[in-house]
Amino acid sequence: MALRELSSLEKYLGLKKPNKYSTQGDKKVPVLQNNNGPPLLGLATIACHLVKEAKRPELLGDTAENRAVVQQWLEYRVTRLDSCTKEDIKIILKDLNLYLQDKVYLAGNQFTVADTLVYYGIHPLMVDLAVQEKEQYVNVTRWFDHIQHYPGVRHHLPPVVVLRNRIYTSRHH
Amino acid sequence: MTKEAVQGATEEEQQAQSKKAMKKQQKEAEKAAKKAEKQAKLTAEQQTTEEDDFAKDRYGVPAMVQSQQKLDRELVRVQDLTPEKADQLIWLRARVHTSRAKGKQCFLVLRQQQFNVQALVAVGDRASKQMVKFAANITKESIVDVEASVRKVEQKIESCSQQDVELHIERIFVVSQAEARLPLQLEDAVRPDGEGEEEGRATVNQDTKLDNRVIDLRTTTSQAIFRLQSGVCQLFRDTLTNKGFVEIQTPKIISAASEGGANVFTVSYFKTSAYLAQSPQLYKQMCICADFDKVFCVGPVFRAEDSNTHRHLTEFVGLDIEMAFNYHYHEVIDSITDTMVQIFKGLRDNFQTEIQTVNKQFPSEPFKFLEPTLRLEYTEGVAMLREAGVEMGDEDDLSTPNEKLLGRLVKEKYDTDFYVLDKYPLAVRPFYTMPDPNDPKYSNSYDMFMRGEEILSGAQRIHDAQLLTDRATHHQIDLEKIKSYIDSFRFGAPPHGGGGIGLERVCMLYLGLHNVRQTSMFPRDPKRLTP
Repeated sequence: MALRELSSLEKYLGLKKPNKYSTQGDKKVPVLQNNNGPPLLGLATIACHLVKEAKRPELLGDTAENRAVVQQWLEYRVTRLDSCTKEDIKIILKDLNLYLQDKVYLAGNQFTVADTLVYYGIHPLMVDLAVQEKEQYVNVTRWFDHIQHYPGVRHHLPPVVVLRNRIYTSRHH
Repeated sequence: MTKEAVQGATEEEQQAQSKKAMKKQQKEAEKAAKKAEKQAKLTAEQQTTEEDDFAKDRYGVPAMVQSQQKLDRELVRVQDLTPEKADQLIWLRARVHTSRAKGKQCFLVLRQQQFNVQALVAVGDRASKQMVKFAANITKESIVDVEASVRKVEQKIESCSQQDVELHIERIFVVSQAEARLPLQLEDAVRPDGEGEEEGRATVNQDTKLDNRVIDLRTTTSQAIFRLQSGVCQLFRDTLTNKGFVEIQTPKIISAASEGGANVFTVSYFKTSAYLAQSPQLYKQMCICADFDKVFCVGPVFRAEDSNTHRHLTEFVGLDIEMAFNYHYHEVIDSITDTMVQIFKGLRDNFQTEIQTVNKQFPSEPFKFLEPTLRLEYTEGVAMLREAGVEMGDEDDLSTPNEKLLGRLVKEKYDTDFYVLDKYPLAVRPFYTMPDPNDPKYSNSYDMFMRGEEILSGAQRIHDAQLLTDRATHHQIDLEKIKSYIDSFRFGAPPHGGGGIGLERVCMLYLGLHNVRQTSMFPRDPKRLTP
């Protein structure tokens, strides 16, 4: 799963030469053998490395604060999202919904690699949501639909249908 | 211990004992004093009761009404108590909804079905203290005969249906006394669920209501629901009769299961067994073959389905229609949808009070429909669902969640709560459904939906004995069991079609309720056989 994400990320970044990854441990943590030094371990680390390799530092955040926020979201993706249970899903979606109430992107007002990786991570949750739930977490759905249509991001994932109009009124059970 | 010490101890004991004894004596004395006081008070009260009750003849519990006499007395209805009757002395019979004493007065609320009025017994020259006390002690739900004068009030009484008047009671008699402990309180039974939780006041859960149905049916909400239901039946009959339909009665004890053997009740029939009819399907069709042309029937339907859902009952009232048509089964659809629209209009125009009463406890959006009724093809419905992200095959049946989702999509797109889905796949319909003439995968069958839930399943029926036999064989049905059914088509049968609706489900969905047991007077489900 993580390997496919990394190859999609490479395609988005326009990196000509795809890297060879291996995995480590039962959690299949991705590993990138680096010619110049020790191997890079972990999805977030490798993603940041790829962004630097592609010379697109703005994708990591334009200000110091935004860079920190991007790192936080990458952490969140790997620690909270990847191993969440069914009960966690509701909490995660509720928190994300609240956070995205007044934001277009996760960090600053720009598209960053945080958006990409959280999108990849949350995709399996969104696929299983009923229309009514998607309406309930309206900010998450809005952000998700925006990211999945962002040129070059989606690649290996099937699109999730998002309806334009609300079909459940506030009084609906 | 030394002797002295022992002695000392005994002395102490003795002192302690006498102290105890003294205390005991004191207590007993106090008790006796209190008792004497009470006695004195009682005797004093009794004296006053005997002395001052000048109103003895104006209240009490008379002998049970065993038709001893024919009283030429007019009883006024609570709903007719208006300022026009001000200062008139009237008699009425109603239930005591509440009674509350306040010093020298007792306030009662007297109720008749959905109407109630405030009444007052006050100590004065017409009523004695004992009479007021009697009124305050009448148990809730007791039936009373009251003679009172109607008085106008300056301030509207918000809590009653008759807001502009109140009754000043001159005489009050208990015709039928209710037991003091009611299994449920009517105010609780009518309280909306949310309000109960918020304010910490009780609501009554559905099982309790159903166990004590007689009392639950007295609430304003229940009265409104079943009056509306009566209206549905009436409108159904009147509309169809005006269209030239004939009402028929079909047998409910039958020899073979009509819709498939799984969900049928078996009864012992003398030396053999019989079944309770799952639908009047077969007999409706036989009537058409018997030249009745257009028929309808209203009667019980028995389904032994072990489903404990919000919309299934084991016994419900079926409103069934069957008619011969000229060239196209859409004539049947148009007739049925027009009947439904007439019913909706009739309810909207004549039963607004009932609808509002139900909405007070169960808020919902008003029912919307289009004229002419919206008709979508099955393939269109599937396309709408696919657009919303649902994955399903062309010939798949609609699952309940998908039906509901489609209902929401249709509501959002066309603004209607009522629509028809036409041309279902043949594979998911019963054996007697006429296949589509051009595409063998589809059939001339349709479902109708209210608020996203199915209320009617219908189709053009196969009126050719040979084709019917072929389809039955294809569905692996024992031809012997349906021999008399197939025979009815052998001697000339017109093309025909129809459908059936469930009365309880239609009422539930029209009012926007969530459980079919609310619209069934004495519901039957796998877990309930009484009352």
